[in-house]
Amino acid sequence: MNIVDFLKNSANKYPKKPALVCENESFTFSELWKLVKNFSLPVELLNPQNVISLISENSPYFVIAYLGIMNLGKTVHLVSPEISEINLTNQITSSNSSMIVCSDTVFNKISKFNSIKIPIFQLNNIPKNTDSFSSESNEIAYLIYTSGTTSEAKGVGINHSIVEFATKNIVQVLKYSNSDVDVLPLPLHHSFGLGCLHVSLFVGSTLILLKNSSDLQNILDTIKKYNATTFAAVPATLTKFLKFNENNLNDYFSNIRLVITNTTKIPINTINFFKTIISHGNLATYYGLTEASRSSFMIFNKDTSFDQSVGKPAPQVDIKIDNQINESKIGEILIKGNNVIKKYWKNIESDKNIIDGWLRTGDLGFFDDHGYLYLVGRFDDVINIGGEKVMPDEIEEIVKQIDGVENAAAFGIDHEIFGQVIKLHVVKSKNSNLQKLSILRFCMKNLEKYKIPSKIDFVTNIPQTDYGKVKRFMLK
Amino acid sequence: MSTDIESIVQNIFFEVFPNLSKSDFSWNKEQKDYEHWDSFAQLNLITLTEARFDISFTLDESIDIKSASDLLKNIKSHLS
Repeated sequence: MNIVDFLKNSANKYPKKPALVCENESFTFSELWKLVKNFSLPVELLNPQNVISLISENSPYFVIAYLGIMNLGKTVHLVSPEISEINLTNQITSSNSSMIVCSDTVFNKISKFNSIKIPIFQLNNIPKNTDSFSSESNEIAYLIYTSGTTSEAKGVGINHSIVEFATKNIVQVLKYSNSDVDVLPLPLHHSFGLGCLHVSLFVGSTLILLKNSSDLQNILDTIKKYNATTFAAVPATLTKFLKFNENNLNDYFSNIRLVITNTTKIPINTINFFKTIISHGNLATYYGLTEASRSSFMIFNKDTSFDQSVGKPAPQVDIKIDNQINESKIGEILIKGNNVIKKYWKNIESDKNIIDGWLRTGDLGFFDDHGYLYLVGRFDDVINIGGEKVMPDEIEEIVKQIDGVENAAAFGIDHEIFGQVIKLHVVKSKNSNLQKLSILRFCMKNLEKYKIPSKIDFVTNIPQTDYGKVKRFMLK
Repeated sequence: MSTDIESIVQNIFFEVFPNLSKSDFSWNKEQKDYEHWDSFAQLNLITLTEARFDISFTLDESIDIKSASDLLKNIKSHLS
């Protein structure tokens, strides 16, 4: 089954049911399927690689183009609308994309990029196809370049079979059904949002797509207006609700059976907060990478024992820990299963991270005695100070407890004697008079001596991914 | 001023070596005579001193500090 079949099947079962709602536009499954079927590309511009770049903010036309390109047997290259010219140029070269289809806003931006040499079309102005061409299904559904916590962007091509496997796991574990109404304020060009779209199409639920994840009041109003049953958001968005001036959150969430979030460590206060406001459901999270979608699931409940965990491996997915450090249980997380890619997109060097089906994630973690998986950090981020290994997250968590610290990032810098020492970047809270000495003193009271930062800089911001992970390679 | 610096250096030693009592402190007591003055403690002494006086030691200076007296001498040379 390919991704387009998800829609096709739901259109057969529930033709008149709303499939997609976005602001003032609404499409039934039947209407959506018709638009996808009629989606057309100028065939004379296609090259044999069959990759089409799609760059757009969330909109119904993103969904139609995404499915439409795949329905024509092509691979969708998904790109963030925020992408820079140099990164877009590199991705176009690497993917060998034939053309770009994009929103009006993106068109206004990238049509000025001199280095882009392939045709660019606005989503509402794509020339009609004049010739017929074979639309055999392409094995690779979509291509995403990871630009997360490591420096080099890697192309990850996702097969239809991987999407089918991961989608069925999500549905099974989180019990999605056609009676769900799913509120989605996540960008569709990222795996998390895309996975939610796939689920809605697969089960035949109604997807309420939002364009903006920062407007909390709009999210709440949408949940209420559509009597939503599920809501997906990154941990940072969930945490913002803690400070949101709204007394009736329980009321807004009264019909919600599931709030799903993702990999980044969720602050314990946020978990506890959502446990109280979701009276008839659960907060859940998952651990996954673009290369290994939804590898574990965690459903939070009244038992708080495992609240710092990302749960247990997904059905038919194996996870193990390798390269343990300091003789502890902590080591690199390896994943194997039908959710894992077989190889990267034209990247022999990165392919070395996949051995006998096991993907070396570069993430550090451990299992407890009950089989729950915990994330600790990135394998590459471990700081080696004269043989003592230090996880930067541990230092950051301590430093963030200091009054006047808004954010902090620790990382290793070269040192002639120790190999590496710890450097700390600190963002001070507004109007804070915090001094470096105070930070050092707090660290000396709360950390072992080899974990005390040797250098501290006050900075105005710390580079992070959209999902709140520190981009440490940019700090070094 | 000199007394102030000396007092601050003493306090740095007490912070880096929490088990060090005032009676055990001596300006000429050497690294080898401290139970916990290992390479990490050395690093912390340097880090705390640099932050306290807003100065920066060279690697050679850092290595050569083997007593409270050495540390004091180096601080003074940076502040002079």
